[in-house]
Amino acid sequence: MGYKIISPARVLIVALLWLPIVSLADSSTEPVCVHDDLMRLLCLDEPAEKIISLSPGLTELLFAAGAGERVVGTTSYSDYPEAAKDIPRIGSHNRIDMEAVLAAEPDLVVAWISGNPTEQLRRLEELGIDVFWGEQRSFEDVAHTLERFGRLAGSEDIAHPKAAHFKTEIAALKARYADAAPVRLFYQIWDDPLMTVNDEHLISRAAAVCGAKNIYGDLPRLTPRLDVESVLSKDPEAIVVAGMGEDDDSWLDPWRRFEGMTAVKRNNLYFIPPSSIQRATPRLLEGMKRLCAHMEQARERR
Amino acid sequence: MYRGDLQRMLPPLIVLLGMGLLSLALAVSIGSVPIPPGEFWAVVTGGGSELHRTLIIELRLPRAAAAFATGGLLGVAGALMQVLLRNPLADPYVLGLSGGAAVGALTAMLFGLGVTAVSGSAFAGAMVSVVLVFGLAHGTGSWTPTRLLLTGVVVAAGWGAVITFMLALSPSEQIPGMLYWLMGDMAYARSPWPAVTVLVVACVLMLPFGRSLNVLARGPLQAAALGVSVRPMTWTVYAVASLLTAVAVTTAGAIGFVGLVVPHMLRLVLGNDQRLILPASALGGGILLVLSDTLARTLLAPEQLPVGVITAMLGVPTFLYLLYRSR
Repeated sequence: MGYKIISPARVLIVALLWLPIVSLADSSTEPVCVHDDLMRLLCLDEPAEKIISLSPGLTELLFAAGAGERVVGTTSYSDYPEAAKDIPRIGSHNRIDMEAVLAAEPDLVVAWISGNPTEQLRRLEELGIDVFWGEQRSFEDVAHTLERFGRLAGSEDIAHPKAAHFKTEIAALKARYADAAPVRLFYQIWDDPLMTVNDEHLISRAAAVCGAKNIYGDLPRLTPRLDVESVLSKDPEAIVVAGMGEDDDSWLDPWRRFEGMTAVKRNNLYFIPPSSIQRATPRLLEGMKRLCAHMEQARERR
Repeated sequence: MYRGDLQRMLPPLIVLLGMGLLSLALAVSIGSVPIPPGEFWAVVTGGGSELHRTLIIELRLPRAAAAFATGGLLGVAGALMQVLLRNPLADPYVLGLSGGAAVGALTAMLFGLGVTAVSGSAFAGAMVSVVLVFGLAHGTGSWTPTRLLLTGVVVAAGWGAVITFMLALSPSEQIPGMLYWLMGDMAYARSPWPAVTVLVVACVLMLPFGRSLNVLARGPLQAAALGVSVRPMTWTVYAVASLLTAVAVTTAGAIGFVGLVVPHMLRLVLGNDQRLILPASALGGGILLVLSDTLARTLLAPEQLPVGVITAMLGVPTFLYLLYRSR
């Protein structure tokens, strides 16, 4: 006697009363934090609702990370995916319209370290806007950026599988061509002036995965300028060109007159749409698979 | 200054001052984000939304002030150079100063340094160029405007070659920023205060020299005959003009055309009295650059143009019209 019987119903009521408080504490979450590519810790109180992207590649990465609907402003030439074309523009990647950025009242600006004007990014920070300074130079960077964008936008359930898929596919390509005979490749990214890439460039890394050896890999500059004679003297086994559009392979034509070149004799002249391999985004896989197929064909023509 | 002079000079200066204030008001009220007049007034009186306050007070106002001061610096420096060299083609950059500044700025950019370092390096480059040109022109022989001019032009050509070399070897992603600097761009301007201070101080300092400058404009021999100590005078004018140009270039890159055309335009309208032309060039240069920068920001918004494009687009027809009208 004298015991106060605690009925199960009463326990339940007490528990239910506490529940909102507990769950409130849960959803008022700690801030989301990531390190950007300047290795600074960037923390948002909550996942960003309104994001501004400062390059076409970053826009693509945001869409891939499941944050596409949150992009409220981007730069000119943001043409992929289709939905990106309808996002309001806030200038070009090398001159940003500061007023347009401020007017969009973004929670987060994702920037491109080597492409955007540093002084404008600093100014945005001074005006109290959170800026993610990004730079993607390797496959790991692409995957890592996807994961971080997922975290910043609260779309990790989309971004993480995307990043994992990208890593597996790259690993698969690497495994497949690990023992392939090297193809001596000249990769032309511009025609006048004639420009190529060195081994630091993502394109050259992609080519290396396919078992291609960039004949200008050792040059010190990321995008060296060359003359035609130098290419002739190196006599590449295959030539891959970018172009001014998605299906403009006219840059191949000037090479055809050099009939003595191995690449011309074997007809190893290939075109790869620039946007599928020059942007550090998951679409890189598409361009790489194409490049690998071309290199495989060049081996068969030996 | 005589009473009659003052009465003659005051009206055009007041008109220019009024136009200057109008241009500033225009620059602050126009942008790629439209702000309704009511909202604008609210901000002016200390209210308004936070966004509008930031746009007007943090972005437009400092930029417009910097543009005005930079334009003023270039205008005064151009007027001084034209008097000093007695050559209508002289402009603030004719002696290679902008080339030296550009090499400084581009070097800092190549090393990926920030805005402050780029400005500092540009200023240092400008100073190196000044010392180089003046030292070489002085040489062992006598000092003549022709000799100074030739030295300056050749040094400028040398800087030009260095700039081209640097552009050819720079990583492609840095080239747009460099080109914008070379064309002149107010987006680089951070705080307007250095430019404003230097402009005001220079105008006040040069005021008493106006009469001597008038005499100097007729040639060193006449000036000497009329009791002007020519050599210290020339040195001072050259030093002041160089300093003004260096500050302008440091603020906003190598903005062309303002320094060449604004003093000429004003001379066509107001006559060639340096006491009037110097302050008028300060105001006129300021007005041209503020208007140009406002157009550069808004013409193709959200795309941003370098202001150097617009100064020439506005200045060329105006100048040609004035030249055609004058006999």
